[in-house]
Amino acid sequence: MAEIRQIAIYGKGGIGKSTTTQNLTAGLVEHGKKVMVVGCDPKADSTRLLLGGLAQKTVLDTIRDEGEDIALDRIMRTGFGGTRCVESGGPEPGVGCAGRGIITSINMLENLGAYTDDLDYVFYDVLGDVVCGGFAMPIREGKAKEIYIVASGEMMALYAANNIAKGIRRYAKTGGVRLGGIICNSRNCDREHDLLRAFSKELGTQLLYFVPRDNVVQRAEIHKKTVIEYNPQSNQAQEYRNLAQAVIENEMFTIPTPMTQERLEEILMEFGLFDNIEDDYHI
Amino acid sequence: MPINLNTSNLATRENRIGSITGYIGSLKDLATKTECGTLKGCSRCFSQSSTCLSMCGLSQLAAIRDVAIIHHGPSGCSVTSSSSYYMSRVMAKKRGVTSSTIYVGTDMNEKDTIFGSTEALRKIILEVNKRYQPKAIFVSSSCATGIIGEDIDSIVEEVSEEIDVPVIAVHCEGFKSRIWATGFDISDHAVLQGIVKPRREGVSTNKINFKNFFESARPEIIEIFKNFDLEPTFLYCNSTVEELEHLSEALATTCICGTLGNYLGNALEEKFGVPYVRSINQCGIVGFETWLREIGKVTNRLDKVEKYIEEQRAIYLPKIEEVKKELQGLTAVLGMGPGYTFEVSRVLNELGIKVVWALAWHYDKKYENGDVPPSMKYLLDSNIDFEASVADQQNYEVMNILNKYKPDMYLSRHPGSTVWAIKNGTPAIYVADEYMIFGYKHTLEFAKTIVDTIKNRSFEKNLAARTKLPYTKWWYEQNVDKFLEEAK
Repeated sequence: MAEIRQIAIYGKGGIGKSTTTQNLTAGLVEHGKKVMVVGCDPKADSTRLLLGGLAQKTVLDTIRDEGEDIALDRIMRTGFGGTRCVESGGPEPGVGCAGRGIITSINMLENLGAYTDDLDYVFYDVLGDVVCGGFAMPIREGKAKEIYIVASGEMMALYAANNIAKGIRRYAKTGGVRLGGIICNSRNCDREHDLLRAFSKELGTQLLYFVPRDNVVQRAEIHKKTVIEYNPQSNQAQEYRNLAQAVIENEMFTIPTPMTQERLEEILMEFGLFDNIEDDYHI
Repeated sequence: MPINLNTSNLATRENRIGSITGYIGSLKDLATKTECGTLKGCSRCFSQSSTCLSMCGLSQLAAIRDVAIIHHGPSGCSVTSSSSYYMSRVMAKKRGVTSSTIYVGTDMNEKDTIFGSTEALRKIILEVNKRYQPKAIFVSSSCATGIIGEDIDSIVEEVSEEIDVPVIAVHCEGFKSRIWATGFDISDHAVLQGIVKPRREGVSTNKINFKNFFESARPEIIEIFKNFDLEPTFLYCNSTVEELEHLSEALATTCICGTLGNYLGNALEEKFGVPYVRSINQCGIVGFETWLREIGKVTNRLDKVEKYIEEQRAIYLPKIEEVKKELQGLTAVLGMGPGYTFEVSRVLNELGIKVVWALAWHYDKKYENGDVPPSMKYLLDSNIDFEASVADQQNYEVMNILNKYKPDMYLSRHPGSTVWAIKNGTPAIYVADEYMIFGYKHTLEFAKTIVDTIKNRSFEKNLAARTKLPYTKWWYEQNVDKFLEEAK
C-alpha cells in the first residue's frame, strides 16, 4: 500500500483555500481516491461544502464538552463521495490560543487512529498566514510532506505566499516538507498568469494549476456544495478535475527560495501591469 | 522614566533601569562603563541556574497579612506557594500575630490554554473572596496566561464592582525578565496601584516606611527609633493592608536593601512626596552612621541622631577595633544580590579584609531616580577596587573563582551557594538574615562570626576531602569569562 500523501494548503486569508481544497478533494474522489480533510481554522468552515453545511462538532469542542476519552466517530463526519471530514475548531475570536488548539487536535487525531492505511490523501486546510508555531503544526513532525500555496495575482496574496515559503524553508531543513507548487485562484488581475508563473519560478517552484474565475463557484458555495457536486457539467467542474489530476501527477517538490521584498516588487513591476495602463482603464 | 501607576503592566528592570546579568571585569571598569553609557550586558552560551521572578514578586505579596494571592496558571507555576505559605505563617508566629493569607493556584489545563479561562478565573476570585474574606486580592498572571493574552485586567475590573476589597492584577510572566528582582518591583507596583491611598488631610505621623525581608531586627529597630521619636512600619512581611494604605503619609521611606526598596521608595517619593532615604545601607559602621544621619536630615532630627551615634560609638567601636586585629589581611570572595554584594564589600574593607572578587547576581546601572546605586558610588569615591562580575548564580563561575583565588572565606546570602564553597574546602559565611551586619552591634557580631569561621576550618577540610565535585581540572584552568558572550 502506498504511503498516504499528506498535503497542507496555505495562503492569504480569504484567497479561497477552503473552496479550492474541497473542490480539489471532490476531483480526487472522482478519481477513486480516499481523502480526509482536516480543517485547521478556528472558524471551522473548511469542510462545509463537502458536508453540505457547518453541522459537525469540532475536535476541540468535543474535547471541551466530553473530555479526552472520545471515539473517533464523535469528531469525524463523512462527506461528499465518502470523504472524511474533521474540523479542529478553536476558541472564540480574541481569547485563548488557536495555535495551541491545532497542536492539541492534530495530536488527538493521531491518538485516535484517524490516519488509516486505506487513505490516499489527507489535506490540512490552514488559516491564513503561519502566525505562530501552532499553525505550522501540520508541516512539523513528519505530518504533511507536501505543501501547496493558494495565491492570486494580487500583491498581498503574493506577499503572504512569499512569507509562507519562509516558514516552509525553515521546516524543510529539519523535516522532509517540500513545496509542491502554487495554485492560482484567479482574481482576474492584470497578466495574472504571467505574473504567477514568474513568481513561482523565482520561488523555486511551479505554477501547478491556474483555476480561472467563474461565478458558478459562488453559486455552489451558497448551496453548500462543491462545484463538482452542484454542477458536474460546468467548465469549472472540469477545471477542478484537472487540478486534481495535476496534484496526482505532480512530481516536483522543492525547498522554496523566498525572495526579498524588493525582488517581489520588481516582479510585480515587470509582470503585474499591462503595457499601457490607460488603455485598460474602466469605470 | 516617570513611574506610571495607571497601568498594571510594569516594564522589566532591563528596560527601565538597564540592569544586566552578564559582566566580568573590575569594579572600576563596571562603574566607568556605566557612567559613560557603554556598559552592555553579556550573555552566556548556557545558563546553569536562575529563578523565576514570579516567586520573588508573589512571595513578597503573600507575606502581607490576611490577603489572597490567586496565581492564574498551570499548577507548576504555583510551586513556590507552599514555601510562601509556610514562611508567612512562621513569620506571623514569630512576631506573635496571626495571618490568614491564602495562596490559590487556578490549575490551568490544556483546555483552559486553548479556549481561555477568564470565566473560571472570575468564579475563583469570587469564591476566594466569599470563602476567605481577604483584605485584598492579588490576581497574578503566569507564562501560560501571558502567552495567550488572557485578559486578567478586565476580569479584575469587572469583579471589583462586586467585591468590596481591592482586587489587583499582577503581571508576573516569568519569561519577561532574566532578573528575578523584577518581581520585587512588580509586587511594589501592585501595592502602589491597588492599595496605597493618597495622604489624608490633617494627619500627622512619626512613621518611617521600612522595607525589609523578614523583620528579624524589628524590636531592636523600634527601640533605636524611639531615641528619635520615630516609629518604623516594616514591609511587607506581616504588614496589614491598612498599614499599606497609609504608606503615603510617612515621614520617609527607607530600606535594608537597595535592590528591594528601589521601586517602592522612588515611587512613594515621586507620587506622594514621601522622601526616600538613598544612603548606603545600614551594614557596617560607616553605613549605619550615614544612614542614621540621612534619616535625621529628612525628618529634622539630626541632633538626636548625633547624640545616639556618640553613645553607641563609645560602647561598640573599641570592641570592633579589638576583633578587627584578627581579621587584617584576610581575603574574601562574595556572591550576593547587587544590593548586598557592594554593601558587604564595603564592610569587609572596613574590617580590614581584602575583597578579591565580588559577584553580583545582577547589576542595576542606575536606580529609578537615575542615580548610580549608592553602594557602588561609595566604593568608587573611596577608591576601592576589586575584580567584579555579574552572574545570575552561575555556580561554575563561583567555583572557578574560588579555585583561582583560594580566599580565606566566601560569603553569600544564598544557602546553595555557600554549600558549594564548603564542599570546595572554602570556609563560608551564610549572610542569611538581612540584619546580620546591621548597625554597631551586629557588625561586631559579624566580625566575630568571621573569626570563628576562619579559625574552625575542620568541617570544610573534612567535607572537601570526602567530596568529589563535578568540575574538571580543565574548567579550573579556564578564564572565568570562558562562556561569556559579547552582547550583540
